[in-house]
Amino acid sequence: MISYWKKIPEQAKRLVVLAAILLAVFLVVRPQLVPPDFGELGHFRASALQDIVAQPIRYAGHEVCTDCHEEVAEKKGNSYHRNVACEVCHGPAAVHIEEEETDMLRIPRGRDFCIVCHEYLSSRPTGFPQIVSESHNPMKSCITCHNPHDPTPPEKPKDCAGCHASIARSKMVSHHVYVPCVRCHDAPDEHFTNPRMYHPTKPTKREFCGGCHASDDPSVAGIPQVDIDSHGERYVCWQCHYPHLP
Amino acid sequence: MEDIVQHLTPLLKEVSGYIFPNEIELHWGLLIVLYPYLTGLVAGAFILASLVKVFNVKELQPTYRMSLLTALAFLIVAPLPLLGHLGHPEKSYEIFLTPNTSSAMAMFGFVYAWYLMAVLLLEIWFDYRKDLIMWSRKEKGLMKWIHKLLSLFSSDVSEKAIRFDKKSVRVITIIGIPSAFLLHGYVGFIFGSVKANPFWSSVLMPIVFLFSAIVSGIALVLLIYMIVTPMRRKPIDMLCLNKLASYLFYVMIIDFSLETLDFIHRVYESEESIHIISELVSGKLFVSLVVIQVLIGMLIPLGSIAAAKIFKLPDELKKLIYFVAAILVQMGIFSTRWNVVIGGQLFSKSFRGLTTYKMTFFGLEGFLVSFIILIMPIVILYILFKLLPPWDEARQQVT
Repeated sequence: MISYWKKIPEQAKRLVVLAAILLAVFLVVRPQLVPPDFGELGHFRASALQDIVAQPIRYAGHEVCTDCHEEVAEKKGNSYHRNVACEVCHGPAAVHIEEEETDMLRIPRGRDFCIVCHEYLSSRPTGFPQIVSESHNPMKSCITCHNPHDPTPPEKPKDCAGCHASIARSKMVSHHVYVPCVRCHDAPDEHFTNPRMYHPTKPTKREFCGGCHASDDPSVAGIPQVDIDSHGERYVCWQCHYPHLP
Repeated sequence: MEDIVQHLTPLLKEVSGYIFPNEIELHWGLLIVLYPYLTGLVAGAFILASLVKVFNVKELQPTYRMSLLTALAFLIVAPLPLLGHLGHPEKSYEIFLTPNTSSAMAMFGFVYAWYLMAVLLLEIWFDYRKDLIMWSRKEKGLMKWIHKLLSLFSSDVSEKAIRFDKKSVRVITIIGIPSAFLLHGYVGFIFGSVKANPFWSSVLMPIVFLFSAIVSGIALVLLIYMIVTPMRRKPIDMLCLNKLASYLFYVMIIDFSLETLDFIHRVYESEESIHIISELVSGKLFVSLVVIQVLIGMLIPLGSIAAAKIFKLPDELKKLIYFVAAILVQMGIFSTRWNVVIGGQLFSKSFRGLTTYKMTFFGLEGFLVSFIILIMPIVILYILFKLLPPWDEARQQVT
């Protein structure tokens, strides 16, 4: 062994010694630094779970709010915001339920807050109330017209685009721009105040489109017309043509 | 909460089409752009150095040590953007204590450590050992002890020992080439293996990353050589410079071909993501991808270096062309990293909408921090040049 060591060049010996020192330091230091319960439950420190459990609870949960704010809770429970928990708008309330006099919750009064959910965005579902904040009463705070605990609009939307903005935008650039929504959809009055319960009608037959687009129909010149019996006979029209952008 | 709302509201206006709620803000920002850029420079500079030792390209000898020190300076800084991005840099050593073999990101520590300790430092040490000993013999004061310490108090300058040094350098370089490939291939691997993102998920990604890394590394060493040599009032070795430009040209051709292959492959494959990607490339990424990455960073330098090669231009003009081309290449490669990292996050997983990236100036993820990180390797390189002069005239004869 000694004779073998002697054969190693001088500089390599120094590197070997340095590497051995580094390795020894690593081997000595590692057990000190790795927590003893590391790896017991997985690739983490098992006691981390207790640390997380011991963290202060910030949210109280909406049931607690009901205990004191029964009236508001009832109002909200019957409104469109029934599934929006109180702390979504008012912030974490765990401290507030302990010290209700000193720790007041915040009340968002600005326009910035509401539009996080209600700004027009095509990714939001059709029918979800959305506005373009720049043009929707830009100088007024939302809460001057809408009560956040019962946000039903004070007056029913003037037109369909109030909620169906995405469709309205498509229609605006389509040949159907002058066709009013009610020409194809029969919307009951209740739909304006309770849209999920009362649905407007939709055309169900080819003949409905044929009302304008069948070749035997004496329509205004310029409307594209086809022989409704032979044109794509086995399909309904909207399988190929999107009526809002045909 | 209100801060978040205020932060997201202006971003919301830039969103187009259909995106999911958690896609408004990008998770990887400018710091993560820097990281592949810096590691790429390391790998590229090292590959350039290996040309001298393994492939015996004698013309590049003046840049050999410079490339090694450049690789080292940038390697020291390379993990900083990651540490800054992740937060808690004081905990970073833990990935070495409890290695998580199922996480490619966690294994980067080992790839990095291997490259730093087993490749770069060792090669530099063996290459400089004789000079360190000779310098320390002549010097006085602090520098003498620094050089003594750096040589690990080694003193053997016999012919046999120097032969061993040379042999070691060669062996380490041979190990170093796959290691450099591993280092930067790894970065491409991280992006290429994100299967949920069609802009990244491609087996070509590590290879494209690697060749763009070599391009950026050669261009960087060329720039440093062209800036440092006149500052030292020494003539630029045109043979060396022409060779550097030639290698830059060849690797750029390969890099460009691979990127084109990747592009054609994507277009031909026409997966469902192709529409949103083409919308991205022709819209939000048009300037950074088509104009800066492809035109300014690739085609113009390629064309100008080719022109410098074909026409017998005077040396001064050639220098100017190479210098400008190398700067454009750096811009182009930085843009490449930007387009991969930022571009890959700009489109929604719904493939129907685009979000936006807003860079901040202050803050950990801001421009200022990134700028400081980008300057740091240059400062480190300056110190390294002072400690370990890479110039040929600094090489010592055994007396």
